[in-house]
Amino acid sequence: MLNISKADKVEIWTGNQAVAEAVILTKPEIVAAYPITPSTPIIQALSDAYEEGRIRGEFIAVESEHAAMSGAIGASVAGARTFTATASQGLLYMAEMVYWAGFGRLPMSMCLVNRALAPGWSIWVSHEDLYSMRDAGWIQLIAKNTQEAHDLMIHSFRLSEHHDVYMPSMVNIDGFVLSHVAAQVHPLSQKFVDDFLPPFEPMFTMDPDDPISFGALTLPNDYLDLRKDHINSMNNAKKIFTDYSNEFAELTGRYWGTLIETYGNQTGDVCIISMGSMSEEVEEVVDELNKRETMMFGSLRLRSFRPFPTEEIQKITNLFDTFIVLDRAYSLGSDSPLLTEIRNCFYKNRADKNIIGKVIGMGGADVNYKQIIDLVISIIKETD
Amino acid sequence: MVKTKELVQIETEIHAIEKGNLACPGCQLNLAFKHSLAALNNNAIVVIPACCTSVIQGAGKGYGMHVPIFNTAFASAPPVASGIARKLKLENKDTQVIVWAGDGGTSDIGFASLSGAAERNEDILYIMYNNQGYQNTGNQKSGATPRGAKTTTTMTGKTSKSKNIARILLAQDVPYVATANAAYPQDLFDKISKAAKEFKGNFRYIEIYSPCPPGWNIDSRNIVKVGKLANETGIWPLWESINGEVTLSKVSRRYLEKTNRKDPFEFFKLQGRFSGVDNDLIQQFMEDVEFEWKWLKKYLK
Repeated sequence: MLNISKADKVEIWTGNQAVAEAVILTKPEIVAAYPITPSTPIIQALSDAYEEGRIRGEFIAVESEHAAMSGAIGASVAGARTFTATASQGLLYMAEMVYWAGFGRLPMSMCLVNRALAPGWSIWVSHEDLYSMRDAGWIQLIAKNTQEAHDLMIHSFRLSEHHDVYMPSMVNIDGFVLSHVAAQVHPLSQKFVDDFLPPFEPMFTMDPDDPISFGALTLPNDYLDLRKDHINSMNNAKKIFTDYSNEFAELTGRYWGTLIETYGNQTGDVCIISMGSMSEEVEEVVDELNKRETMMFGSLRLRSFRPFPTEEIQKITNLFDTFIVLDRAYSLGSDSPLLTEIRNCFYKNRADKNIIGKVIGMGGADVNYKQIIDLVISIIKETD
Repeated sequence: MVKTKELVQIETEIHAIEKGNLACPGCQLNLAFKHSLAALNNNAIVVIPACCTSVIQGAGKGYGMHVPIFNTAFASAPPVASGIARKLKLENKDTQVIVWAGDGGTSDIGFASLSGAAERNEDILYIMYNNQGYQNTGNQKSGATPRGAKTTTTMTGKTSKSKNIARILLAQDVPYVATANAAYPQDLFDKISKAAKEFKGNFRYIEIYSPCPPGWNIDSRNIVKVGKLANETGIWPLWESINGEVTLSKVSRRYLEKTNRKDPFEFFKLQGRFSGVDNDLIQQFMEDVEFEWKWLKKYLK
């Protein structure tokens, strides 16, 4: 194992601090940002880092989230490593430009601090904002705790800038539950990040000596080619992210899984599927129920929602009898977004299983392992 | 002022745009783009939000300009340009970052981001070509459409006054603000050169009057004449402001005196957009013009 940090150094950081400190280690040249709860402390920390000279570059304090994403787009196309952070309504306000960065294939990283959409006005966690940008051509990664949020930021930049991927990437952390709760973090060292994350090498840029037109009127065949290439690159990201995850684990001893992380029984009666901070609770649930009940429980959490870990999930479709999908959002008039995605994987295997979706923890409702246990037990009784 | 012969020579050498692009016959913004990029010696990165220029630069791989262009969504051009300009600053490059936007993209949907970039004093030269409506989508009313003008969303003539963005930016203390007119290429060339050379490092704003043959319903052969008449009737005075000091441009100076101005009827009669419009509205439009002059006189030394 490599010396990843000042060996025994431990910080007590909030999720926002852990993210900001990781971003500082990636030395972004430009950050364009606009404040919104609960992501504001991230951009404040970055503004400070430029001001104090910890990193060289420019902080653009723009007038809106639409402009924040636009500023990041300008920075990226000019060849700068760039970052922004937002949440909830802020993401919706920048939505047009989120797609522009995605479909425009502009590498950058964004931390999305997941927060419910209004009205009712809520500042607490939900995953509606995450799902709203499902089809924007971004990589969407999700952290389960503060340490993983810190580590994932580095993966996010590296994945986004890889020439076989080359698209923006966001790291999702749950609002307040992660963003504002202080926890132990083993910080990565500058040396480690410099080695793990090579400098950004733009594939194209704006150069008066070699002019190109970006995003001009595109005829149908060219448009289709652009999208096909994007689809292929998104698929490439699956293997590349898996490789990075394994490489990171080897170097640091911190194994977070690949596109997914499994916990508890790898085969058995009930598999609980979840994302984000809830997954840590689910791991407790699995430990508790495996002790208490005669049935065998396992957990699967997604670390990546886009690209979706279809193959990984297909592999488990026949390993459990019942699947419970916990989700912090609901697609009105349909089902929860994660449930429909999971069912899609089962359909591909023609696997006929009990897949039960449960919406839990929306709008910041507290989710602890005891509540999940009650939920799981009631589902098992119902399906018996 | 640059001599006509000199300008022709520079433009021939610099060759800012290719022949046969997708602009309409007589399009004034197309000429304005050529003059502007010639003044910048093509050493520019141009950010273009949705507008006529999104289309006329060409489709697919047929690309008719000689500068890098970033086409972007309507309201985003100033912050995109800010991102590019900050990167160039880190690299100490002298390349100009230009926003090239229409009047709708500037006065309506892009207004907040324009004001934001001006407030941050980003190193951007913002050029608005004013064809007084959403001409790319077929002549809908914009904030910059003058009172009285017929558009497809003001079928009997616009009843409200146009928004004067140049004046609004003066209120934001933008160090260089100027109005120009595609029919006066020497004056335009000088203003672009001055903004680029003398005010580099600052936010700068130039607005170019750009008559539109289909939108304004003008015979292409009269298009330059309409542009000139806008100046000669006092309807579109050319001025510049340097650190808040406003001066009338040479070609507009004699029209400070009302008696020197041509009959506005000469201007109206060449344009279908004013035909059949209620006389009261036209009268109010002329009062709007007087209001602009009154404002100008207050600031002129």
